[in-house]
Amino acid sequence: MKNLRLKSARAALDMSQQQLADAVGVSRQTINAIEKGDYNPTIKLCIAICKTLNKTLDELFWE
Amino acid sequence: MEHSLGYIVGIVVGILVGVGIVALLFKLKVMDLTFDERQERARGQAYKYGFWTLLTCLLLYGFSDMVLGRWCDVLVGAMLCIAAALMVFASVCIVKDAYLSLKEKPRTVMTMLTVVGSLNLFIGVMNWKNGQVVENGILTFAAVNGICGAMVLVILVIYVVNYLLGRREAGE
Repeated sequence: MKNLRLKSARAALDMSQQQLADAVGVSRQTINAIEKGDYNPTIKLCIAICKTLNKTLDELFWE
Repeated sequence: MEHSLGYIVGIVVGILVGVGIVALLFKLKVMDLTFDERQERARGQAYKYGFWTLLTCLLLYGFSDMVLGRWCDVLVGAMLCIAAALMVFASVCIVKDAYLSLKEKPRTVMTMLTVVGSLNLFIGVMNWKNGQVVENGILTFAAVNGICGAMVLVILVIYVVNYLLGRREAGE
């Protein structure tokens, strides 16, 4: 299932996938895979993404 | 085919020097193979496919040797199996976007693959022209360069195709 909330939160901060990837220390393809719903990130990566985008885990990853 | 002691020592020293250079590059942080969690997972799957490919190829090689008789040097047979396993490993990694580490640049890797592949293929062709590749109907160790060159160039082609498709997808 696509993670549109992550995509919109990233877009709201005017960040590219590459910029978010660099900020959390993963590859652009990994961010792309998470947004497309092809990869379930670990809680560690979820937290890093949330901190970077100033969101909570619930806001980005809880269904 | 019998080889002189100097020939064998030369190969061993060459391998040791190669390993030493790679170890030094890692120590100096010139080479940094850090992957993210998705890539590590994908590479784990790729290792699995590579491992089973290696086992299958070794079995087929042993079987062919038993049925057909000696058709290549043992080291060449081993290299063929390793090349097949590496190709499977690399292909799976490439398709899953897990071939490059976080700090590697696609152009650098493509250039390196082109140079290594072409150089090995060139040496392989020269060996072939000199008639060293097949002696008394047996594939000799001189065929290894050609095998490595072909393997690297196949990996390069898969990488370039995947890279171009990825760029198109990123642009959409």
